[in-house]
Amino acid sequence: MISLKNVSKIYSPHINSLVDVSLEIGQGEFVSIVGQSGAGKTTLAKLLIADERPTRGVIELGGWDITRIRRREIPMLRRQIGIVFQDFKLLQKKTVYENVAFALEVAGEPGRRVREIVPQVLKIVGLDEKGGRYPMQLSGGEQQRVVIARSLVHRPKILLADEPTGNLDALNTQDIIDLLRKINEFGTTIVLVTHNREVVNALHRRVVTLADGRIVSDEKHGKYRIG
Amino acid sequence: MPVITTSYRLLKAAFQSLGRNAWLAIATIIVLVLALTSVNLLVGVNVLIVNAAKTLEDKVDVTIFFKRDTKPELVTSAKFFLSGLPQVASADLLQADESLAKFKERHAGDAQVLAALNELDDNPLGATVRVKARNTSDYPFIMETLKNPQFADAIESKTYDDHADAIENIQHIGERARTVGLGLIGVFGVIAILIVFNAIRVAIYTQREEIGIMRLVGASSLYVRAPYVIQGLLLALFAVAITGGLIVLALPSIESSLRPLFGGDSGLSAFFYTSWPQLAAIEGGALALLVAVTSWIAAGRYLKR
Repeated sequence: MISLKNVSKIYSPHINSLVDVSLEIGQGEFVSIVGQSGAGKTTLAKLLIADERPTRGVIELGGWDITRIRRREIPMLRRQIGIVFQDFKLLQKKTVYENVAFALEVAGEPGRRVREIVPQVLKIVGLDEKGGRYPMQLSGGEQQRVVIARSLVHRPKILLADEPTGNLDALNTQDIIDLLRKINEFGTTIVLVTHNREVVNALHRRVVTLADGRIVSDEKHGKYRIG
Repeated sequence: MPVITTSYRLLKAAFQSLGRNAWLAIATIIVLVLALTSVNLLVGVNVLIVNAAKTLEDKVDVTIFFKRDTKPELVTSAKFFLSGLPQVASADLLQADESLAKFKERHAGDAQVLAALNELDDNPLGATVRVKARNTSDYPFIMETLKNPQFADAIESKTYDDHADAIENIQHIGERARTVGLGLIGVFGVIAILIVFNAIRVAIYTQREEIGIMRLVGASSLYVRAPYVIQGLLLALFAVAITGGLIVLALPSIESSLRPLFGGDSGLSAFFYTSWPQLAAIEGGALALLVAVTSWIAAGRYLKR
């Protein structure tokens, strides 16, 4: 599903964000990428959504070599990966419904499909009653659920979540992780980038640990072992 | 992707964004209206200067005084000769007796002048021809043609000899007014372009995060840019309409305040009422093009990823 072969990302001669990283993630896996600040977690996430290009190495997603992806192909890639960020990245001038619908509209989905899918995903994340609200009228946990709903509209095979619980309290964190688990149970591969010890330990799933841009451990049922 | 669905969504997005960023839209429209108004103000001032110079030019004419003993046939042939010149707009003839009658009429209330005239046995006045040229620059040529030996000996004097410098000055003023006016319009046009360019850039800068998010969820560059370009075009349309409305509202009072200066119609209203389709097409077209290109480029800056 996801394959990185000897991937390096060098920003300048003295800043090596990722060094010779090789990683295989299979379909339906739930993988946590952990590491301290500056370990290269976010760079790895950016490489997977073609927000950055690797300096060396090859990246493949579902057999698609995205190492030298063209700019005009990036929208197609991003419609195939669900993306969830710590800072939500919601369109503040659009309602919850419109935010979720937007991801379908940009892909050219007909209105009938939009009207069919958006209520479904809002129901999955428990926001079917709040479609008419604007992001600023929601709590942090609710906003993150809107983002997850948006990431689900294309039924992605991969969902990349970069610190999705970074801005949430313990209760909302648990809600979001439960939601990610539920999505994983439907067969979606989850790549969770986090430094939240409790979350990683509670998941008891595969854990890849990064330090100074290198993979230092990769455990099938791992724990958070930093600090 | 069905074109109609996409077009509908892009238009809807543009209108929605306008409505939800109303204050930003209003601020941008105000800037556009100010830019258009300043350009039109200069267009108006240029029209007034040119019209003022033209009014002065229209008032210029030259009178040719013939000697008393000149035969009426010769004066008549001089009149026809002048009328036939393409540079001459009109040539009005007053024979000697008509000149005298006019003179008496003009001095009807002046007993002394009339008494002095009665003292004379003969008509002291000769025939006159008043010549109006199409352009003030044509007078020297017209005067040159009168050196024709057929007429030259019969001419007593010409007012052109007294007014030559004044005519040349008026001619210079007219030419300079046109050049300076066009130059000022050009300078203000460039300033207006810079103001509009920056206003649109700032408007899109405030929405840079939105652009990044649209890109993140898989919007193509066209899908992100098009609503901004459409919004820009709508703002330009509003600005042109508002500026037109302001001009229509302001023209009557401007015209009435100019009337005493021009001793009649200044020609400003007539210019705007007859030239508005061209003005709207040129200014609106230029503004729409500027706004569309600026929006496209400014939105593109945040599409790098």
